[in-house]
Amino acid sequence: MSPLTSLPQKPWIWAWIGAILMWLIIMSVSGIVAGGQVMSAAASFGTFFVIVAIGQMFVITLGPGNVDLSIPACITLSATLAMKFMNGDPNLLLPGFLISLSVGLVIGTLNFLLILLLRIPPIIATLSASFLYQSTAIWSNRGLRVKPPEVLGDFAVSKILGVPILTIVVLILSVAMAFTLHRTRFGLSVLAVGQNQKAAKLAGIRVERVRFLTYLMYAVLAAICGFFLAGFSGGAALNMGEQYLLMSIAVVVIGGTSVAGGDANLTGLWGASLFIFLLVSMLNTLGLSAGYRLIVTGAIIVGIIAISGRKSAI
Amino acid sequence: MKINTIGKLCILATVGSMATTSAIADTSGKRIALSNNYAGNSWRQAMLTSWDKVGSAAVADGVVAAADAFTTAENQVTEQAAQIQNLILQGYDAIVINAASPEGLNGAVKEACDAGVVVVSFDGIVTEPCAYRIAVDFKQMGKVQVEYLADRLSDGGNLLEIRGLAGVFVDDEISAGIHAGVEENAQFEIQGSVHGDWAQDVAQKAVAGILPSLPEIKAVVTQGGDGYGAAQAFKAAGRPTPIIVMGNRHDELTWWKEQKDASGYETMSVSIAPGVSTLAFWVAQQVLDGNSVPQDLTVPFLEITQDTLEESLANTQAGGVANVEYTLDDSIAVITGN
Repeated sequence: MSPLTSLPQKPWIWAWIGAILMWLIIMSVSGIVAGGQVMSAAASFGTFFVIVAIGQMFVITLGPGNVDLSIPACITLSATLAMKFMNGDPNLLLPGFLISLSVGLVIGTLNFLLILLLRIPPIIATLSASFLYQSTAIWSNRGLRVKPPEVLGDFAVSKILGVPILTIVVLILSVAMAFTLHRTRFGLSVLAVGQNQKAAKLAGIRVERVRFLTYLMYAVLAAICGFFLAGFSGGAALNMGEQYLLMSIAVVVIGGTSVAGGDANLTGLWGASLFIFLLVSMLNTLGLSAGYRLIVTGAIIVGIIAISGRKSAI
Repeated sequence: MKINTIGKLCILATVGSMATTSAIADTSGKRIALSNNYAGNSWRQAMLTSWDKVGSAAVADGVVAAADAFTTAENQVTEQAAQIQNLILQGYDAIVINAASPEGLNGAVKEACDAGVVVVSFDGIVTEPCAYRIAVDFKQMGKVQVEYLADRLSDGGNLLEIRGLAGVFVDDEISAGIHAGVEENAQFEIQGSVHGDWAQDVAQKAVAGILPSLPEIKAVVTQGGDGYGAAQAFKAAGRPTPIIVMGNRHDELTWWKEQKDASGYETMSVSIAPGVSTLAFWVAQQVLDGNSVPQDLTVPFLEITQDTLEESLANTQAGGVANVEYTLDDSIAVITGN
């Protein structure tokens, strides 16, 4: 089979088709120049979705029931503690970043302990633990918005030839994670556990260790996302993580990763992130009211999942 | 030491009774609860802090016996209804509510009224007739922005509207006020409308997405908590900064001050002071005291102008939102003024 005819069977292709379609519609309404600017903005904002979605993708790939709902709280807590500690001082950038990383490590470990030791299903464990993390964020700074050090803010919004630097960094990260998923022992173990946990165990894979590393990795990625997001948008806010809960799952699923687990790809994450940003921008550009916007967004997402989720007969 | 404390108490009591005459004697045994549906943003945090500050001072002064705050975890109507029922059972004399829904809590509010509990709703008000309402004229809050712009831009021009959270009463009201203002000032046209969810990062993202498709924008009308994000989006797009109406947040006021100092940038800022919770507290206290209070009160919103910017900024906690807390006398003025 030639690569071209096999393309429609790639689960990630639909997200990209959707993204390009939205982009063409925006350009047909607003012109080529606007199209370029919108794409640059999409890359900026899509980057944050991708960081989080990479982690969620690994978790979802572990198989049915695996999903992490503590991510918004992790983003908020990481950003809040780091910004509060640095208090705008550029000399504290590195320790601030380390604080973010530790928040991720602690949350990932706690999540996994709840799942493993108390045998709580991941959805419930991560959701209930997220109240703990969110409350800690509220308690630590009462919602006061501390500005990031200027150098962090500048870095988060800087661009080379119209391409955000952060996007380039996350692109490199994506390639590394794709390699991890498809070429390393850890990645293949994640896929194997997702396909059949019992078989994976019998084959000698240490299932719980794989799960632990996966949840840990996700929390750390979310914490990093929080750190840069606070830099990008001028400070941490208590509700800054809110939209990443559903979006992290939507991006993974639209991107063609199997909800049933065991089958994942990173190419689709970028397509889906760009698609969602461009979709909302297109609907805003066309001036649809919020009600219609939500209906159209929902319908298109369902449509894409229906098409991309269909198992090919071959 | 002991004499000193008693002495202080006497002075407090004297001062208190001079200011409030009958209030202390009548409500000193009464307990007031705050039922709050959401605490997850800086405005709500400031609202709770103000409540705690004024409430605990009132308890210490013996004006009321308790002023406890309760916040639901999930911002859901059912959860808050159950919470109100619990507060009735716990024997509170008055319940002050910031409601998750204007209609959804009416059953629980009616139960409270029937049990003889005074119910005062504010910010997120309830429609149940037996409750007192401290409403903000959100429509007017939208309209003053356009009126200000009409003063500034006699030739009018294109506007970008940043709305709040879709489906929420407050968002519809402010937006209706903005649109009413634009209808009266035909020189303005709203070229685009996005939802910023009252959050800087969400507003920044939404504006960045629509901006390339828009013609020159003269001004941005907002709902609060979104002005700084809009400014960032204009900057990132390399566009000239329009007049962006701010929403009293510290980062917004700081940004405005920087622009003012650098280039004489002029705008206005408008929002509701989170301390409106303390007005609700005193209204509940006054009702318990047997004073006549109108069922519907309107609270003025807090407007910051070019001239009051420095003063407001200095009085606003870093990272917080401009605030006004009400004393008993302020509250009586609002009550009798209506």
